[in-house]
Amino acid sequence: MKTFWTARRRDTLAGYLFVAPQLAGSALFVFVPLVLVVYYSLHEWNVLAGTFSFIGFSNYSALAEDANLMPVLRATALFSVGLVAINLSLALLLAVLLNQRLRGTAFFRTVFFSPVVVSLVAWTIVWQFLLQDNGGINGALDMAGVDGPNWLRGDTTALISVIAVQTVKNVGLNMVLFLAALQGVPADLYEAARVDGASAWTRFRRITMPMISPTILLTSIITVVGSLQVFAQIAVLTQGGPGTSTTVLVYYLYQQAFQFHHFGYGATLSVLLFGIVAALTVVQWQMRRRWVFHEQ
Amino acid sequence: MSSRLRVVLYGLLCVMAVPFVFPTWWMITSSMKPVSEIFAWPPALFPASPSLDAYRDVFTLQPFAQQYLNSAYIAIVVTIGTMAVASLSGYAFARIRFPGANALFLVVLTGLLIPSEVTIVPLFQMFNAWGLIDTHWPLIVVPILGAPSVLATFIMRQFFLTLPVELEEAGRLDGLGRFAIFWRIALPLARPALGAVSIFTFLHSWNLYLEPIVFLSTPEKFTLPQALTQFVDAYGGPMWDVQLSAASLTAIPVLIVFVIAQRQFIEGLAHTGLKG
Amino acid sequence: MRLRAMTAALLLLGVTACGGGGASDGPAELRMTIWSANEAHVKLFDEIAAAYVAAHPDKVSKVTFDPLPFENYTTTLTTQLAGGKGPDLAWLLESAALDFVEAGALVPLDDTLEDPAGLNPAVMKLWQADGKTLAYPFSNSPFGVFINTDLLKQAGQEPPAAGWTWEQAIAAASAVHAKTGKAGLVVRDFDYKGWDNLATVWTGWGANAWSEDGKTCGFDQQPMVDAMTFLHKAIFTDQALPGPGTTADFFAGEAAMTISQISRASLLEDKFAWDLVPLPAGPAGKYSVIGQGGVGVLKQSKNAAAAADFLAYFTNAANSEKLAQFFPPPRTSLLTADTLAKANPKLKPAQLQTVVVDGIANGKVKPSHTGNAELSQAVRASLDPLWRPDADVRTVLTGVCTAINPLLSK
Repeated sequence: MKTFWTARRRDTLAGYLFVAPQLAGSALFVFVPLVLVVYYSLHEWNVLAGTFSFIGFSNYSALAEDANLMPVLRATALFSVGLVAINLSLALLLAVLLNQRLRGTAFFRTVFFSPVVVSLVAWTIVWQFLLQDNGGINGALDMAGVDGPNWLRGDTTALISVIAVQTVKNVGLNMVLFLAALQGVPADLYEAARVDGASAWTRFRRITMPMISPTILLTSIITVVGSLQVFAQIAVLTQGGPGTSTTVLVYYLYQQAFQFHHFGYGATLSVLLFGIVAALTVVQWQMRRRWVFHEQ
Repeated sequence: MSSRLRVVLYGLLCVMAVPFVFPTWWMITSSMKPVSEIFAWPPALFPASPSLDAYRDVFTLQPFAQQYLNSAYIAIVVTIGTMAVASLSGYAFARIRFPGANALFLVVLTGLLIPSEVTIVPLFQMFNAWGLIDTHWPLIVVPILGAPSVLATFIMRQFFLTLPVELEEAGRLDGLGRFAIFWRIALPLARPALGAVSIFTFLHSWNLYLEPIVFLSTPEKFTLPQALTQFVDAYGGPMWDVQLSAASLTAIPVLIVFVIAQRQFIEGLAHTGLKG
Repeated sequence: MRLRAMTAALLLLGVTACGGGGASDGPAELRMTIWSANEAHVKLFDEIAAAYVAAHPDKVSKVTFDPLPFENYTTTLTTQLAGGKGPDLAWLLESAALDFVEAGALVPLDDTLEDPAGLNPAVMKLWQADGKTLAYPFSNSPFGVFINTDLLKQAGQEPPAAGWTWEQAIAAASAVHAKTGKAGLVVRDFDYKGWDNLATVWTGWGANAWSEDGKTCGFDQQPMVDAMTFLHKAIFTDQALPGPGTTADFFAGEAAMTISQISRASLLEDKFAWDLVPLPAGPAGKYSVIGQGGVGVLKQSKNAAAAADFLAYFTNAANSEKLAQFFPPPRTSLLTADTLAKANPKLKPAQLQTVVVDGIANGKVKPSHTGNAELSQAVRASLDPLWRPDADVRTVLTGVCTAINPLLSK
């Protein structure tokens, strides 16, 4: 049998064995539930009455008639775009600042990263206090002579608040990844450019950006996907209000399924959410060839 | 660098640091204030007469020490389990050629795209069918094997991709099998990536909110984030000072560990191979 | 792959569906979900349960009281039910009452409850359908106004006398805010989100969220417009109520008055002199509002019969009297100032008589409707534009009706 177990066959077996736990786990805890969600979405499910009946695609046609859906998708888009843009640019800015030859960058690095390790619910509870009309933020603004808005009660300011709270909480992660990428850019590239008389901005655009573009791709995918999964922050800070200005898709899904007891319709929204996330990721992945350096 | 630019940079860094530090500072100091002072205008930087009464209440109102233990042990088990599962499959996807590897990797990656809210109802049904509701099993097994571990697998794969092939070739010539190569050569080199994975995973488990709410119903089994929202009187009115004390208690130890180990912490994350 | 997963899925569903069957022999273990984790409450429940188990070891071996977070109480309960893992008995909030009652999720209790004739019909109404009692309203807590008399004095205001009116209340609240900078009147738990708590205000104008049969929206009708116009002026012009996004805790001494259920008296420490008075009279006269909590037996339970039997014991006259120290009971015989005074040492008999006994006798229960969570969310969202200084009250309220009419007619 020695001839049967060639190095190649043994590798194949090893490969399957190595990925087996992950694959079995994904099948059981990702794909079976996903199929179940699709299955539920074809049903009217009244939890309280204990009824579960097949209704075909009615839940999907209800999507078209749901007057709340457009505002929810709008809020979701605004939130995601705002979060990704602010998070990535702030992370990059911080990384560039910390990449300067300055004393004490380690200290500031620790500071900017620290919210990442604070428990999410604790962090959100604190900001809920700070963002009150008579809370800490407006107190600080007041000292500076500015009359702060009622953050969590205005449509726009509430959305901005949620984005800001989420950004400050997590920007440290992206910052560290950018910082590592920046430090990985070979110094001689900059030297050569300097010799050629390139300005700081040109160097940043022509050398730094392309060199760290794989990191930008990765962080943007993770941040986009993460932005579509924000739940606890909304639940604690605004409960989707005022109006529906901060009701993002995940929160709406939770409301429909768990609060309004429309499990079938909630499942339909889950399918919609999954479709959006998948589509966005495919688009980002396709676009990488256009601008990610290593892929060219 | 000119000294003027230096001053500007320091100024900028200091101003930007405020929103990162102040909330934590405020949380800890306010937890020692009476309720009336928490809402005082303008907010005070220090409590007028610091009191730890609310901290005592944290432990009398709920089995908080037990809940702390729950969160800690769940997070540790999840972290170790995830490191095992993710490093194995990450290694295989990066280093072993076997039919269907790429397709399987893509299949696994889709797990990254599925918010836990999407699958929580079916998961609840499944664990219920197995009689595991109101146990810690769902909070341990799903993160290790399900969607949350996919990011870890991804990080591990990206890291193993960057390892020079020559190292393994040497091991192969010495007659080592795949597992031995993985265990003795690749894994020890993967310490930074493992560090990153362990941090990600620990924090993810430590922060879980929706899952414990759905799966657990006995206070002795609660985890910390869930316990934090429980400090309300019988009619749902929040007990602010107690809530802030409990929040501080969940944050401070992790912050201390972080500050002590911040170098390993951040550099571990930085060298994950997420660079490319 | 897909097919196999589908089969597995169906298999799992099957398992779940079967999980509910097969009652075991021998004494049952019961579980009751509650929303209070208060030590004193749970201790009393445990005592009652222990006495019951001792008396009926053949029926029930153990009763567990399972506190769920108030914040997500109904949601958690429904999730457990969805998983086929619901409790045997559950507390139910008045807001969710109709959902449970009308979905047929509860077991009728008429044959088991002790002395049903002794129950006050007014408070039982919400918990009955088709002539059957489906849950027992163990808690009937009227809303009253707690007064910080120190703060009022400081602002040179008279403490409220019998028959005080909303005009007087707002004038006093406004004066307190102007003179002391503290908040005037706080509608507890409203916080510009929990709008059903405003029933404690608009009932004084004879307004209703919706008609008795739940089909017609009441927000755009004249009484509601008048009530909300008054409230809007009180908030934004008179500054008698703290504005949106401002927190003021009465019990920490931050506000002169608060509308709250009397059970909150337990939060009073003797930091300031206080009083408890009935709600002020509105243009439609004197009125009172109560909030309820019910307890029912779930149909899904394998041990429904044992659970109903335990519930009968839990709510009999003797135990109701014990429970009365925390929860005003629905039993007419117990609703006297004397009984309640034994249980509420902080309150004087006169206060209990006017606020609690009279309140329950004439009280209107806070609004409830089927599909309550969705309806409540729709009202909250469409009412949000009202909480701005320049809001046009009638336009906003018409908008509320536009938003909720489709839900009301369901």
